[in-house]
Amino acid sequence: MLTSRRFLGSICTAFLGLFLLAGCGNREPVLKIGFVAPLTGDQAAHGMDMLRGAELALEEALSRGPLIPGCRVELAALDDARSPAQAVAAAKKLASDPDVAAVVGHLNSSCTKPASAIYHEARMLHVNPVSSNPDISRQGFDNLFRVCPTDDLQGPAGARFAIERLGAKRLFVIDDLTTYGRGLANEFIKAARVMGGEILGHEGITQGEKDFTPLLTKIKAIHPDLIYFAGMFPEAALLLKQRFELGVAARFLGGDGLFEPTLITLATPAAAEGAFLTTLGADLRAIPQAGAFVRAFEAKYGHLGAYSSYVYESTGVVLEAIRRAGRKDRQAVLAAMKQIKEYPGILGVHTFDARGDTTLRTIGIYTVKNGKFEFLQAAE
Amino acid sequence: MKLRKSALWALVALLPLVDPNPYRVEIFATAALYALLALGLNVIVGFTGLLHLGFAAFFAIGAYAYALLNLRSGWPFWLGLPAAAGLAGLAAAALGLPAIRVRGDYLAIVTLGFGEIVRIVVTNLEPWTGGPNGLMGIAHPTIGSFNFGVDSKPYYTLLALWVALTAWACSRLARSRIGLAWAAIREDELAACSLGIDASQLKLLALAIGGAIAGAAGCLFASKQGTITPDSFDFILSVMILAMVILGGLGSVPGAIVGALVLGTAPEFLRGFASYRMLIFGVLMIVLMRLRPQGLLGGQLIRRKAGSGDAAASG
Amino acid sequence: MTPTELFLQQLVNGLTIGSVYALIALGYTMVYGIIQLINFAHGEVFMTGAYMGLALFLACGVAGAGLASVPLLLGSLALGAAGCSVLGLAIEKIAYRPLRQAPKLSILITAIGVSFFLQNAVMLIFGAQDRYVPSVVPAARWQVMGIVLTPLQGLIFAVTGLTLAVLQGVVYHTSLGRFMRAVAQDPLAARLMGVSVNRVVAATFALGSALAGMGGVLFGMYYSTINFHDGYLTGLKAFTAAVLGGIGNLPGAMLGGLLLGLLESFSAGYLSTQWKNVAAFAVLVLVLLVRPRGLLGERLAEKV
Repeated sequence: MLTSRRFLGSICTAFLGLFLLAGCGNREPVLKIGFVAPLTGDQAAHGMDMLRGAELALEEALSRGPLIPGCRVELAALDDARSPAQAVAAAKKLASDPDVAAVVGHLNSSCTKPASAIYHEARMLHVNPVSSNPDISRQGFDNLFRVCPTDDLQGPAGARFAIERLGAKRLFVIDDLTTYGRGLANEFIKAARVMGGEILGHEGITQGEKDFTPLLTKIKAIHPDLIYFAGMFPEAALLLKQRFELGVAARFLGGDGLFEPTLITLATPAAAEGAFLTTLGADLRAIPQAGAFVRAFEAKYGHLGAYSSYVYESTGVVLEAIRRAGRKDRQAVLAAMKQIKEYPGILGVHTFDARGDTTLRTIGIYTVKNGKFEFLQAAE
Repeated sequence: MKLRKSALWALVALLPLVDPNPYRVEIFATAALYALLALGLNVIVGFTGLLHLGFAAFFAIGAYAYALLNLRSGWPFWLGLPAAAGLAGLAAAALGLPAIRVRGDYLAIVTLGFGEIVRIVVTNLEPWTGGPNGLMGIAHPTIGSFNFGVDSKPYYTLLALWVALTAWACSRLARSRIGLAWAAIREDELAACSLGIDASQLKLLALAIGGAIAGAAGCLFASKQGTITPDSFDFILSVMILAMVILGGLGSVPGAIVGALVLGTAPEFLRGFASYRMLIFGVLMIVLMRLRPQGLLGGQLIRRKAGSGDAAASG
Repeated sequence: MTPTELFLQQLVNGLTIGSVYALIALGYTMVYGIIQLINFAHGEVFMTGAYMGLALFLACGVAGAGLASVPLLLGSLALGAAGCSVLGLAIEKIAYRPLRQAPKLSILITAIGVSFFLQNAVMLIFGAQDRYVPSVVPAARWQVMGIVLTPLQGLIFAVTGLTLAVLQGVVYHTSLGRFMRAVAQDPLAARLMGVSVNRVVAATFALGSALAGMGGVLFGMYYSTINFHDGYLTGLKAFTAAVLGGIGNLPGAMLGGLLLGLLESFSAGYLSTQWKNVAAFAVLVLVLLVRPRGLLGERLAEKV
């Protein structure tokens, strides 16, 4: 066994070694695009699907020739494990790497918020793919751009659909106690009240829990017209399945966190049948310019993830800014981004408002029919 | 000898300041925060022998106390720091009041319960705490006209100094009459009581001091992040802090710091292994413990304990 | 739904969750009873068991729901039990036995290390995505007096009850049980009397892990989705249940599990889901303040 002093010594040596190691490295010109998402932890699946979107976008761009002559462009992918503290650490890692010119990042609104302050400080272009919490773009950061519609659009769109289209008046709202879920649920409730809906209850469930039968039994007893769930698909699948098994008659409407084919597999098609959900953007498969992306993605990786297209889009925006800047320089890339008036992407033509949010504000509404998502309508 | 050791520590502490890479400075700033937490828990678990599994609660109380005082009443950091420490210390003692009646592993569960209750209450008191959204826009510390901002270096400097101060206070405490009384309670509570030591009062004191250290750490964390959400204070954090204390060597002040350095920085340095990093982290914990069962810097204190027959069943 | 029906349905809900907790709590309690070790990796063993069941179903080509098959059901339970007992043995040998002489808390670290390892190993093998677990039990729904019951719920009750009975039999009526009780009381004296302490401890781990494995398989089928993270929350709850009932005590683990399930179900049903864990932990704290060794913990003095 080692003595404690020798142990302390070896630890110090190890740290010193790490510092020295990090100091070396090759100096061939390379420009990196930062990418951060949960690549480990319980949302790793989403993160991996997002990463593939970024990889595909870069690969396609490079196949059309070099972006900046004499300079390699690559992705620097980091994991935030959906923890805000790790998101900040990852953001600082990117900010401190002079090769990183821009960043595409973060799935969870709770991660995007604190990380965006770091990117802002570093004067680095930050394109956010899918964190739909409205507050993020209200911090006044000029380097922040977002390619998805926000929850102050999605919540009301869901409420309007529930009340006007489905005729549901008595509503029960559940969220998953995350920044995203609670934010979306609050927007839904606000809008529903204005439209004359009655909120019978609003409760939060914990991510990772499995048994929601007590909550659903309680809901069954007060028989609302509709259950609204703001959260992610694993919990939604369990809610759907247990709702089905308990024979709860209320209809089910959820947010974009449910838009993932695995939802139907996990819930079983019988239990998921007839559920509704709102999505960010219209039907990807109905947009002509997205067809090539869907085909390429599925050919390469098989299954298309819920957020892959938004990351593909965000990476595309970043690559366009880099191409226009024409050199490896954060300021230049950010300046070039601000010059982009219109970006024709796979979701449509993006223009960005004063806050950096896209003006593509379509919310899609889907239903589950015969074990598949079916596009119903687009809501503005 | 002692001089050389102190010089070594100072060198380690200064290293990040000459480092041009802000990311590594950030890692060490975070590790310093962990070190602070480990020092606090060490007072409770290491010095006094109270197994506490809800320590993250006091970190949370300190963080939210400063955030609320700052956001609602405009308290500056330097006023918020003692307030956060004081409130967390009070809370630790208050929650300890019923808990210290239970012993050993049962105490661990009661504290685990309190830790979870605090976190859920923080999540559910939305009008106050912002609920799952958390609180944002918390003021960074300032000295005169200098604002700490988002750069990690000033935080690291402040944290390193704070760790040094706390460590010094802890070592003094361990050698004081109170510290000796704690050790007596840890080794044999019954015997300690028969010597006229008021075990309940001293246990509460240990909890209050440990809690106050965590509360100060919470305030530093909140001011550094600028944003806090309840998911930063979960049970896993409590377990990790305990792991740092045990890995460093129970009751050892430098051990708590080294344990926090190792476990706090390893996941970051293992990033190169991508999706294998937490797997390797797990293996690392097993290997380190098998090499040094008494903890990295655990000295005679533990050996004495093992010899006293109090340790687990022998095989 | 009448108030009575609502109450009865919540009772059934609570008993189902409670039975799952109980099955895992039995493993915690057995290990604790023998060597006073909180086996923090136990929840992860449970989760791995759920994946073993899934692997068997995948290998046999079972995909959709509703396919009932007794051999597959028994096979999956047996595989979960056998696979997890091997896993439990390996964990004990690699991570716990070398440290049995060390301070008690050192084992906590290796246990956490094992947890990280198992979680991430399963994630690397099966992917991070939630997986669908097909059920090999008929997917019927029985309506009794306005409340809903499924065959799987019945199966879970039966397995949990049967397990407790078998365990009680093993501990009190076999030579292994006698050795276990001897080691629990005084390991040194037991060794002097010719009991191989290592073997008894290993057998305890194997037995406890086998229960967790079966629990995992049932859990996977009942909820139909599993994730590599599932061991954490459920394991924590089961551990709480074991303490509530009096850790080290087999019927106590059962009682604690059922009680915790009922507590969760009634507090979620009549108060709020958001506060249910507060209610559960508050009751736990209160119970420990009144009975510092848990509900049935009195027997801990004689250790299992």
